[in-house]
Amino acid sequence: MSRVGAISGSQRIYFQQVVERFRLIQERPDTLREAFAHLFRNRVSYHDFEALKGISFVISEGETVAIVGRNGSGKSTILKIIAGVYRPTAGLVKVSGKVSALIELGAGFHPDLTGRENIILNGLLLGLSRQEIRSREQKILDFAELGEFIDSPVKQYSSGMYARLGFAVATEVDPDVLLIDEILAVGDAPFQEKCLAKIDEFRERGKTIVFVSHDLDAVRRLCPRALLIHEGVLRLDGSTDQVLAEYEGVLQQISA
Amino acid sequence: MRQLVIEAWKNRELIWALAVKELRVRYKRSALGFLWALLNPLLMMLILTMVFSAVMRVPVHDYPIFLISTLLPWTFFSQSLAYSADSIVSNGELLKKVYVSKSVFPIAAVVSNLINFFLSMIPLVLLLVIFRFPFYWTWLYLLIPLISLILFTLGCSFFFSMVNVFFRDMSHILQVVLQAWFYFCPIIYSLDFVPARYRMLFRLNPLLYPLNGFRLAIYYGLLPTAQSMAVSLVCGIMALVIGYGLFRRSQDMLVFYV
Repeated sequence: MSRVGAISGSQRIYFQQVVERFRLIQERPDTLREAFAHLFRNRVSYHDFEALKGISFVISEGETVAIVGRNGSGKSTILKIIAGVYRPTAGLVKVSGKVSALIELGAGFHPDLTGRENIILNGLLLGLSRQEIRSREQKILDFAELGEFIDSPVKQYSSGMYARLGFAVATEVDPDVLLIDEILAVGDAPFQEKCLAKIDEFRERGKTIVFVSHDLDAVRRLCPRALLIHEGVLRLDGSTDQVLAEYEGVLQQISA
Repeated sequence: MRQLVIEAWKNRELIWALAVKELRVRYKRSALGFLWALLNPLLMMLILTMVFSAVMRVPVHDYPIFLISTLLPWTFFSQSLAYSADSIVSNGELLKKVYVSKSVFPIAAVVSNLINFFLSMIPLVLLLVIFRFPFYWTWLYLLIPLISLILFTLGCSFFFSMVNVFFRDMSHILQVVLQAWFYFCPIIYSLDFVPARYRMLFRLNPLLYPLNGFRLAIYYGLLPTAQSMAVSLVCGIMALVIGYGLFRRSQDMLVFYV
């Protein structure tokens, strides 16, 4: 699998028959003792779980695509594969351009470092150079609106402040592909508005966005196209109205 | 191996930031702060000197310098291992959310301890001044044991950081191994104290060569044989090739097990 490979024309993300298999975690030998125990008992004591069962789709430059589905259907796994966090077990994945993943805001913040120190560390983790961070610091500070808290350790931040800072850093990476996973659930209404405005700005600049959310209003507002994932299978790929109609059908089936 | 150099160079700013963060966090909110990097080896030396020079009467002149010349590089080695063994595990949550080259974490653990090591050279120099001990020209040669030691430490760090993800026992085993290894190395004693028939066994210890290099250059003002220098470099390179090789092979699996 090549993460950044030859990819035709305006395609940004290319998935072909992607399978992701996990070994279920409670069964794995965590310590040597258990490993020995398994050795002697001589039985297979794990089982594999297929989070994705052969998913294919293509997302082109400038598209904003939503991924919807129930909890555990495999949405986040898709994002993590695009981000490069997971390697697919089988299938072909190609991603072109710089990817920034908003999978969890402020992942990688160190609680004992100040906001300012964390901006640098987090920026570096997301692939920026020190110089790039310095030149963007003011914009990050403006967006995060932390006031004097910027020089306090982030463990003293409220969850909203934490989220604002995380969002500000991740979007200043200026990616070609932005992955957003259910992060708008945190923060108050003005913050959400600000985030949506930022996402709109990305769209206008022709960036590619993949958006995972249970907030169907936000999906309708932002995304013309959607993918419905159900139990690791791509059930429908189409216009958002079409897909959400199908999704509501799925939800009703379950509650019925 | 080329892969490692490219990756480390590409991520040099991140590695440095992580290493500095490590030190900052280590010394943050302690009243003496960075002074601990200087005090720690001094206190350690004081204790060991009292035990082995005053109580057990090891027949070595200027024992504190004899001791500290190998104690400092040993501390660098053992601390690097202790830190890097946890480096991947403790950054597990991050690795699940952001794509980062896994190798930066053990490298940063080694770099932060290397900074610590250089800081701890200050008390060594002070000690030499206080004892009116000569600075031999052989100090210039220290670069070779240092490079060997860094390569060897990096190799071990890659290995333990990876294994600890799969078997959490490793960080506990490592503590015991390090303890035993400390006594197996000529730190509180020198190889001359070892009965001749066991000496061969002690020569199998790859750390012996760089550590001896430090002691010879600082304490005796002598150069080791070319053979010994070659062995120490070869051990370092081999450890790195093996350690990094194993690390690289499993690095895509790590995220599923942290």
